[in-house]
Amino acid sequence: MLPRSVTKLAFSGLLTAALLSSVAAHARTRPHYGGTLRVETVGDAWQLPDGLARRLTLDTLTTINESGQAEPALATRWESGNADHRWEFQIRPGVRFHDGSPLTADTVVAALDLTCQPVAATCLWRTLHAVGPSIILTTDSPTPDLPELLAQTKFAISQQDAASPTDGTGPFRLTGFANGALTLVANDDSWQGRPFLDSIEIYPHRSIRDQWLDLSVGRADVVEVPPEMLRQAEQQHLAVLVSRPVDLLSLAVTPQGPLASLQMRQSIALAVDRASISNVIFQKQGEVTASLLPAALSGYSFLFPANLDLDRARTLRGGASTAPLTLATEDTSAAMQLAAERIALNLHEAGFTVLATPGAHPPAPLVLRRDHLEAASPRAALDELLARFGQNGTVTGTDPAALYQSEQAALVNGAIVPLLWLPRDWAAGERVRDLRLSPDGIPLLAGASLEGAP
Amino acid sequence: MTLRQKLLLMFSLTVIGVVAAVAWTVSLRVRGVFEGLDREQTTALVTQFQREFDAHAADAAATVERLAASDELQRLAFSFSNGGDTAPYLTIAAPLAQQYRLDDLELVSRDGNIISSAQWPARFGYREPAISALGKPAFLKLEDMPDGSSQIGLFAVRTVTGSSPPLYLVGGRQLDADFLRDFPAPPGTQVYLYRNLTDSFDPDNFTGPAQLPPGAAQFGQLVNAARSSARNATGIVYLTRHREDSVNATAIPLKGANNSVLAVLVIANSRRGMVEVQRHIRDISLSVAAIGILITVAASLWIAARISAPIEELARAASQVAAGQWDTRVDIRARDEVGVLARSFNHMTHELVTQRDRLVQSERVAAWRELARRLAHELKNPLFPLQITVENMTRARKLPRIQFDEVFAESTATLQAELANLKAIIARFSDFSKMPDPKLERMDARDALRRVVSLYGPALEEKKIDVGTSITADQLIVLADAELFHRALSNLVLNAMDAMAEGGTLTVSASRSMDTARIGIADSGPGLTEEEASRLFTPYFTTRQHGTGLGLAIVQSIIADHRGRIFVERPDNGGARFVVVLPLANLLLAAESKT
Repeated sequence: MLPRSVTKLAFSGLLTAALLSSVAAHARTRPHYGGTLRVETVGDAWQLPDGLARRLTLDTLTTINESGQAEPALATRWESGNADHRWEFQIRPGVRFHDGSPLTADTVVAALDLTCQPVAATCLWRTLHAVGPSIILTTDSPTPDLPELLAQTKFAISQQDAASPTDGTGPFRLTGFANGALTLVANDDSWQGRPFLDSIEIYPHRSIRDQWLDLSVGRADVVEVPPEMLRQAEQQHLAVLVSRPVDLLSLAVTPQGPLASLQMRQSIALAVDRASISNVIFQKQGEVTASLLPAALSGYSFLFPANLDLDRARTLRGGASTAPLTLATEDTSAAMQLAAERIALNLHEAGFTVLATPGAHPPAPLVLRRDHLEAASPRAALDELLARFGQNGTVTGTDPAALYQSEQAALVNGAIVPLLWLPRDWAAGERVRDLRLSPDGIPLLAGASLEGAP
Repeated sequence: MTLRQKLLLMFSLTVIGVVAAVAWTVSLRVRGVFEGLDREQTTALVTQFQREFDAHAADAAATVERLAASDELQRLAFSFSNGGDTAPYLTIAAPLAQQYRLDDLELVSRDGNIISSAQWPARFGYREPAISALGKPAFLKLEDMPDGSSQIGLFAVRTVTGSSPPLYLVGGRQLDADFLRDFPAPPGTQVYLYRNLTDSFDPDNFTGPAQLPPGAAQFGQLVNAARSSARNATGIVYLTRHREDSVNATAIPLKGANNSVLAVLVIANSRRGMVEVQRHIRDISLSVAAIGILITVAASLWIAARISAPIEELARAASQVAAGQWDTRVDIRARDEVGVLARSFNHMTHELVTQRDRLVQSERVAAWRELARRLAHELKNPLFPLQITVENMTRARKLPRIQFDEVFAESTATLQAELANLKAIIARFSDFSKMPDPKLERMDARDALRRVVSLYGPALEEKKIDVGTSITADQLIVLADAELFHRALSNLVLNAMDAMAEGGTLTVSASRSMDTARIGIADSGPGLTEEEASRLFTPYFTTRQHGTGLGLAIVQSIIADHRGRIFVERPDNGGARFVVVLPLANLLLAAESKT
């Protein structure tokens, strides 16, 4: 029998140990402040559509949540009037740019005005002006999804009066570009609160092979994973974050010159073997589509037939001989080039002579495009995509039937041939915590932290 | 052309001809030998290239076999046999091809669909008909490429070792510039590959290890021959108009699995070195020939001079003989035919001189005899009256004085008349012996003729002789002594008048014939016999009773002194026609200036 004191002591010890272990366990799950996150990308860190650095330094009036709805950001609230022809956004007070200057309705108007230049026709609004702490936008047609559209990165607010247009209100500010890395440091005065990370280094223009090598040896924390390499990434046991389908692979057909005939364009749409491209080139990571919106957004994607119909393609093409066609690819990645060659081969089966050439060739009658979709609601997504293809304002309603009709009207002339929807995939190192992807598949680095940071 | 020139020309032409024939024969032979060697070299190269080609084919097949036996592919085949997905292996062919140094590699499933293609990754899922050539040696195959072009390669088809169902490998090496560069071509030899992609010859289908020569299109005929016959074709291809830019080319058709010609391997062996050697030899030959010809011409000159000199001496001597120097001799000591000729010439001239002297002597005797006969004849006529008269005077001494005086007076008159006759005879002979040298001057022969006709006009009229003239309107300038020429023409007119004692027609004419003035004086008299015509100009020959026979001889002498000639014609209608031919002054002066 042990003495009571010993028993009490043992109990006290056990209690203390349990308490300490509980505290320690809690400390492991709580994010740490500090540290430098190293991110590597294939593309540019500032330019759209990804614009990793832009997203960290600039804020938009609204953001898109997981369900695709707009949430307040620099705008605290908004309301529409005149049947969605007039919108008023209340600007968040107390927000300051990185240089210390306050965010006002006027600076927001100036920044948004800049997004309409140089082509005013692509503007979402007809008029834009500041009224006190608010900005007023009017549109020619009802725009119920304007808050969602303003969440796009291209409408991010930057300080137009500053020497550098990279000055924003975001959680990080850009400090410079040295040794191949874009360095961003935490904005202590961010209206969202200070981020956990002290700084982020973004290494642009890195090949996938180098990115993965750096990740494996600890020189990178976040790297890209092309969809066609997702299986390899999994085989290498990388922690991969996979987005919903956010990239639309499509064939833009110039309805002029050798392809002025609608039948020719329809023949092209029927001759492309989307399944092979998706299953083999993109290793079953793509979602075969003949519609602009992914099935998850629209629900009616199946109404657009995406099957290969070579016989009908040949019939539509007829026996007319056409000059060799050039198929350009804006994205020069290996998978895209391979997809272009495959499409050229498919079209050859239908009787076309097509030469796939890497790089953008504006006069090319065929262009294989890869368009990134930021919007997460059906109407906003369709508006965004149609704007990309130069067909603004064609969406006339919000219900699926109206969307379907709008989409059908956009695709009926065969100038756009949707092929695949592809996700965005990223791999993170072991020390990265709390990394999530935005609805459009871009890492939300501002919310991440590093394990073991001081 | 002189004999020496002829001899020189003959010798030179003969030597040049011989040298040219020898040079041509040598050149032809040398060219034949060189081209034979070149052909042998090209044949050896072709054989070597064919061996190399076969070795490359065997190497390509061996590489595919090695790959088929690799662990990596055996594991892959095992994965497939267990129902594994082929999609993840879309890009496996490219690194394998690189690892095994293959240009083309395709992994083909058992159903013949491409799983992975190194050369055209986008062709996955398409059928590869080449698997029907499984196990065969390497074969040629036309492979379509993503850029729309077509490449020809040496392919082999094998199955991955132990794969069940079979996993096919279709691998090969392209016949591209790198492939051709691997051939051990000696300097001056180029290897090109013509891809038989179009029906007609297209120079753009050529592939070579280096830049194509500028005249690549010239290979068309050879390539077409190889393409159409499916056999080797050999020939010389001239890339430019320069002979050194030519090649001895052999076109080797390369056949595919279905025995069709997929490509033509062209082995071009430059002829530049051979042509330059030939040209060097030709230049040396030409130099030697030129020097030989020069030496030969010089020797020919000497030989021609040696041969022609005595003949020229003989010719010169003959000319002198012709000019009247009958005592000319040649000094030639040769013992050949020319020597015989020279001795004969000297003998001939000696004989000529002897004969001439003898003839002159006999003619002189004959002339003296004729002269004596003439003199006797001429003198006999006056002497007979003199004798009678003297005899009458002798007899008259016996007559009374008065009668004697009458006889005496009559006799002395007769004596004086006959003595005068004798004097006249003697004067004519004296004139003939004292013919003066002509003083030549330019004069128109027509004027001289007109003057004579005019002078004797009244006498002709008195004798009822009509005069007919036919005188050219052109000038007939001759070099003549006016007085002597006039005398000659006068004699001829007088001679004609004598011939027409009963009247008739005197026809005078003057015309130009070639470079001579031709003067004719014709009568309508009784004419001449042939013998008379032949002797008419012989001194002291006359057909008249009282003629001296010196008139026409004097005329001939005068005309001869004027470098002319006179002859008589016997017209068919009777009479006689004397023709005087004199050289025109221009010709004569030109000839004199030349001499």
